[in-house]
Amino acid sequence: MPTPYEPVSARTVAPAPGPARPPLVRARAAGWTPGVCDAVARHLGVSRRLVRVAFVVLALSGGAGIAAYLFLWALTAEDDVEPWSPAGVARSERRRWGLTLAGGGVLVLGGLALLVPGLGASVRGSVLVPVLVISVGAVVAWSTLDDAQRSRWLTGGPGGRGWVRVTLGTLLTLAGILVLVTRGSTPGVVMDALFAALAVLTGALILAAPWAVRLWTDFRREQLAAARATERADIAAHLHDSVLQTLALIQRQAGDGQAVTRLARAQERELRSWLYAGPQGSQESLAAAVTEVAHEVEDLQGVPVDLVVTGDRPFEQHGAALSRAMREALLNAVRHGAPPVTAYVEIGPSGVEAFVRDRGEGFDLEGVPEDRLGVRQSVLGRMERHGGSARVRRREDGTEVELRLPPVEGEQ
Amino acid sequence: MATTDTTATPAPVRVVLVDDHRMFRTGVRAELTEAMAEGGPVCEFVGEAADVDAAIAVIRREEPDVVLLDVHLPGGSGNGGVDVIRGCAGVETVGGAPVRFLALSVSDAAEDVIAVIRAGARGYVTKTITARDLVTAIRRVADGDAVFSPRLAGFVLDAFGAAAGEIAEVDEELDRLSAREREVMRLIARGYQYKEVAKELFISVKTVETHVSSVLRKLQLSSRHELTAWAMGRRLV
Repeated sequence: MPTPYEPVSARTVAPAPGPARPPLVRARAAGWTPGVCDAVARHLGVSRRLVRVAFVVLALSGGAGIAAYLFLWALTAEDDVEPWSPAGVARSERRRWGLTLAGGGVLVLGGLALLVPGLGASVRGSVLVPVLVISVGAVVAWSTLDDAQRSRWLTGGPGGRGWVRVTLGTLLTLAGILVLVTRGSTPGVVMDALFAALAVLTGALILAAPWAVRLWTDFRREQLAAARATERADIAAHLHDSVLQTLALIQRQAGDGQAVTRLARAQERELRSWLYAGPQGSQESLAAAVTEVAHEVEDLQGVPVDLVVTGDRPFEQHGAALSRAMREALLNAVRHGAPPVTAYVEIGPSGVEAFVRDRGEGFDLEGVPEDRLGVRQSVLGRMERHGGSARVRRREDGTEVELRLPPVEGEQ
Repeated sequence: MATTDTTATPAPVRVVLVDDHRMFRTGVRAELTEAMAEGGPVCEFVGEAADVDAAIAVIRREEPDVVLLDVHLPGGSGNGGVDVIRGCAGVETVGGAPVRFLALSVSDAAEDVIAVIRAGARGYVTKTITARDLVTAIRRVADGDAVFSPRLAGFVLDAFGAAAGEIAEVDEELDRLSAREREVMRLIARGYQYKEVAKELFISVKTVETHVSSVLRKLQLSSRHELTAWAMGRRLV
């Protein structure tokens, strides 16, 4: 077995299957340029200088390079990757200085050309000023389009500095365009101006489309993440308020078996109804009412009741009577019978049937003890008063109470 | 005790327990061992697993008679017990019988229950079941019968519209229950044991088992909208 220090193990490593092509993303730390050339160079694995030269050549031959640059800028995402610089920081620092110097030189030369007509520059100030205004406006507006700021406005809403910049930039651009168009303002030029405006609008649309797409995807992603976070927080809050509290209570009352069972059962039910939203629809339905009754009995006596309900119907006075009678029957089952206590309620077009069953000793109606006389009244009597019927059956193990109600009048 | 079950004294049922909670697995083993101490060695634990992939591996290796299967499990393609049942399709025991699954869950959600049944589980019981009832259920599933808890019976009555009075004209109809099947389901929903159902309806326990198995088959094969909708909830077409 080779130790980690053996050079053999290093040599036996299979040749790497070719590095995967890095994604086309711009580095956030690429300096003061948008980092498009950098991204392309990284993606293609060629030197940055080559890419820059290619862009310049393309730009000189008909402007394709500029369009491509702008589109890549608009469409590539920004990420926290290291700038593609094999030569290190010092060189890029030097290069930045060089670029600044070059830019300054160009600006100075341009200014001189304007000031000194004798130098042969045929650029008229009336064209140059609006063009400059347009460029400044566009730069101001576009410079806000980086990811970090965009997400800041999305969360902060309007009123942030970003909006001011976009508005300012847009206003500047529009003003510049207006000045350019109305320069030779004879009525005959109005049509031309209209066409020009249309052309500018179309151009703006083309420019804005990729930006809007990016904005929208970012927005959706952030929305989704926010929704997830909220959901998680809700769940955590609910668990804290319910389950954790109950667990604390249970620990404190660990000696009292019945209390622990009751707490656990109540918590289980609560959690269940929260997770599965329960079988019932509205609180005004009969199914909801009998479910509530069963839960109440569980809470009162600390004995679990297994309740199964099928079907449903609106809650009215007969249903109310049935649920009260069922409550009596359940209370008797948990007090005098033995668990498991089961209850089944079937609500259908042919009426309602409810069954409550326990596994106790059972009893004969003839020899009912004193405290069960109330049962006769509150269960049997009540059902009969509401047009239904009730029956107490003694079974081999335990007792079963059957409650029946006819269908609601007007149905069937 | 269940005297009818012990007449033949068959070999113990080989059981694999699949649940992601170790405490629950330990509890079930302890309880079953205790319950079997009085009723004889009905089953024998041959393995356990805590997630879908481990479960499939254990079941394929041990070829048990019965798998006690939790509905919610980590791993697989995210469908828990359903994935285990699918992953073990075609695995047979030494005796040539298919490996049978008994779903054991705390979930009350209809789509969970219906999904595992439609995937092929032979029954569904809740985790609050008593050890003695669980032993009976394991035995029953090992014999190829179906095990319905009251709640599952309630779901079935709802899903087939039986509670609303829809009854099949012929027994073979897959989308509705026959009158007799509906009666059996109603009694199970009321908490009756098979034995008690048989007594109530004046039929034999074997006939009750036949009816329950037939309901299980309908539950698995029917294309009733409610069932498919519930199963769709678990991405199980």
